[in-house]
Amino acid sequence: MPAWSLKLSAAFITLFVLVGSFDYASGHLKNPAAPLQPPVAGAPAPASTTPEPSVGPSIGPLLTVRPGQRTASATSGPRLTLAPGVQTASLAPITLTHTS
Amino acid sequence: MDPQLVVWLVARATGVAAYIALCLAILSGVALRTSVLDFLATNRALRSLHDFMTWIWIPLGIAHVTALLLDRTAQIGPLDLVVPFQVSYAPVAIGLGTLSLDIVVVVTVTSWLRRGLDDRLWRWLHRTSYVAFVLLFLHGLLSGTDFSSPLISSLSWSAALGIGLLAVARIAFGRLPE
Repeated sequence: MPAWSLKLSAAFITLFVLVGSFDYASGHLKNPAAPLQPPVAGAPAPASTTPEPSVGPSIGPLLTVRPGQRTASATSGPRLTLAPGVQTASLAPITLTHTS
Repeated sequence: MDPQLVVWLVARATGVAAYIALCLAILSGVALRTSVLDFLATNRALRSLHDFMTWIWIPLGIAHVTALLLDRTAQIGPLDLVVPFQVSYAPVAIGLGTLSLDIVVVVTVTSWLRRGLDDRLWRWLHRTSYVAFVLLFLHGLLSGTDFSSPLISSLSWSAALGIGLLAVARIAFGRLPE
């Protein structure tokens, strides 16, 4: 076999491997079985395994009703929607039923 | 496509391709000293192939390390290309590649300067390419993202075993009988 055909064959083999590897890598962007898993720069720190109690929502100053003052009729107040994972305080629900 | 993703794909693909090109370079080099490829070509043609493969694996190797330098996730700096075992998350796996690169650079540069070197010294320097190949194989095995793929794994192992067998035959028998 002449030298040029050896070179051409070797170049084709390498090119085939290069294109094939690129194609394979494109189809398998992340390999969970890869031996190296470098930490991603700038990523947030992993969450702690032991959950810590979150601070309950502050309700703010309670409504003070002076003697003789009329309060609003029994309308439903604004509802507080908590994000998942937010722990509620163990306080009795605030319902104002007293009218003077 | 995200540039970081392209860099990552290039690093992976050129790593495998550079490994195969280097395998072919070593295979043709061993074939010069054994008669194992005599059925295929003359020694002159094999020598020509051996020299030619340098110009195939060098650009692939440069592309591999350049892509890793640009890849933010790999966290490899210019010093890591020269000084082995410095990368914090995988000092051995990546350090073996650095060491292999250092040896291959010495082998290549001394081959270009062969006329000015003592022949015996050059031969011993050139033989360290076997060590470089073993280190390169271990580097691929320990850090190659695609090495677990059956196709790439079988290709890499076959090339390594082929060169290993030829190297053993070379040490044991010298030039094989015609």
